Amino acid sequence: MEVRLSRFGPCGVLVRFADELDADSLSLCRGLVRWVDDHPPEGLVDCVPACTALLLEFAEPVSERRLRVLRQALRIVRPLPAEEATLHTLPVVYDGEDLEELAARKNLPVAEVVSRHAAPTYSVFVIGFAPGFPYLGPLDEKLHLPRRSTPRLRVPAGSVAIGGEHTGIYSIASPGGWWLIGRTPVGVFSPELARGDGDVAAFRLQPGDRVRLEPVSP
Amino acid sequence: MKPVLKVLHPGAGCSLQDPGRPGWKRYGVPAGGAMDRESAGWANRLVGNPEEAPVLELALTGARLQVLREAELALTGADVDGSHPRWRSFFVRAGEEIQFRGMRGGVWSYLAVAGGFVGPRWFGSVSVNARAGFGSACGPGTELVAGEASRLSAVASRYVREAERPRFSPEMEVPVWPGPEWEVLDPASAAQFLSGPWNISPHGDRTGYRLDGPLLDISPRSMLSAPLAVGTIQLPPGGRPLVILRDGPTVGGYPRLAIVDPSALSRFTQCAPGSTVRFRLLT
Repeated sequence: MEVRLSRFGPCGVLVRFADELDADSLSLCRGLVRWVDDHPPEGLVDCVPACTALLLEFAEPVSERRLRVLRQALRIVRPLPAEEATLHTLPVVYDGEDLEELAARKNLPVAEVVSRHAAPTYSVFVIGFAPGFPYLGPLDEKLHLPRRSTPRLRVPAGSVAIGGEHTGIYSIASPGGWWLIGRTPVGVFSPELARGDGDVAAFRLQPGDRVRLEPVSP
Repeated sequence: MKPVLKVLHPGAGCSLQDPGRPGWKRYGVPAGGAMDRESAGWANRLVGNPEEAPVLELALTGARLQVLREAELALTGADVDGSHPRWRSFFVRAGEEIQFRGMRGGVWSYLAVAGGFVGPRWFGSVSVNARAGFGSACGPGTELVAGEASRLSAVASRYVREAERPRFSPEMEVPVWPGPEWEVLDPASAAQFLSGPWNISPHGDRTGYRLDGPLLDISPRSMLSAPLAVGTIQLPPGGRPLVILRDGPTVGGYPRLAIVDPSALSRFTQCAPGSTVRFRLLT
């Protein structure tokens, strides 16, 4: 679909690039983010990519002229194919507290939950909820399960979990309502690299990156 | 550097804040920073600091601070009774106690020290966001360190004239812009959203304020995770709007009805629980 720009308050520009989340939308999102990084518009303070739209936040109100120029520039941005995104392989110990309950609720043997969960090459659709927390997808439909009715007060960092149609990795210890099915010893967020001015290396994953999960024994 | 203040009691909560850490939202890091930018800026100007110097942000009332060494301070923001004057700079001596007592209006107070508070930074900002892992709120015994004051003036204190101070009344008309899902709201609900009136729920914090009032209906009730900005008004499934604030999420899956005009954001954060707001749609 064509990229559509609209205002998001006086200082924001919302760039809609898809109606649905799929490989094409991800490539286009990656292309737009790359364009913004290579040609940072004057006064840009933040860039927030999500599933089907990207928000550009400016320090000052955006003029009509500025909006027109952006519209022209972004219309011709080319997708950046996901196949070229960095591929990460993360070891996962599938021994989460909720693994058995999730398997029972989905009427699947535990081993099948694990094999289905570890089968795809996921894409990082969005990073949100907490610093560095990746929403990975698409998740096997047989594993979709609405969040737990009572969230846990503390989910440890590194927990691999399922929430609704997404799977993700808790980047920091936090409250959370997703089903815990495993854990990875590889940190997706390194708080010590956030110190001082902060380093982008604090985040293992970039939006659009690809991720494989490799079952390992504890 | 010798500490300048010791927190005896944090009251309803206090933490160091500056203008925050924009530029990291794509990694799920909210910009954060002082809830009421304008009052924080005033506090800094009163003691001769750059506007973006770190200040102590105090929620509501109840805090008690002990002075550990001579310093020039200024206190702005919420309308709270206390031991020291507000909206003017003043000098303190070691041993003095700064107390926050009765609450008259507003939510957030700002205490600046000449030289600015100094603290660890995360992604370029001292702003504490405990949930994200960036520091922790002050507790009893926390000592606060200040930088070198560029000028310890002996001249009369500086002040903000009454007419220039923001007023935090229990009612506010908030200018808003239509959000991306405004059009999805049916006309009756859109009218209800604008007429309100909405009460600020007590279940609010630095991440956002909930609004109590008419229940709004919208379908679909959830969508793919979409970008949020500070001031975005979301409608979660319960039907009660939620205004995203400084430490709020960077993306969310609920309809975005409206966006608070940035010029009104600082003032909006000072709407105490129970105050009444109405929205005025800008186009």
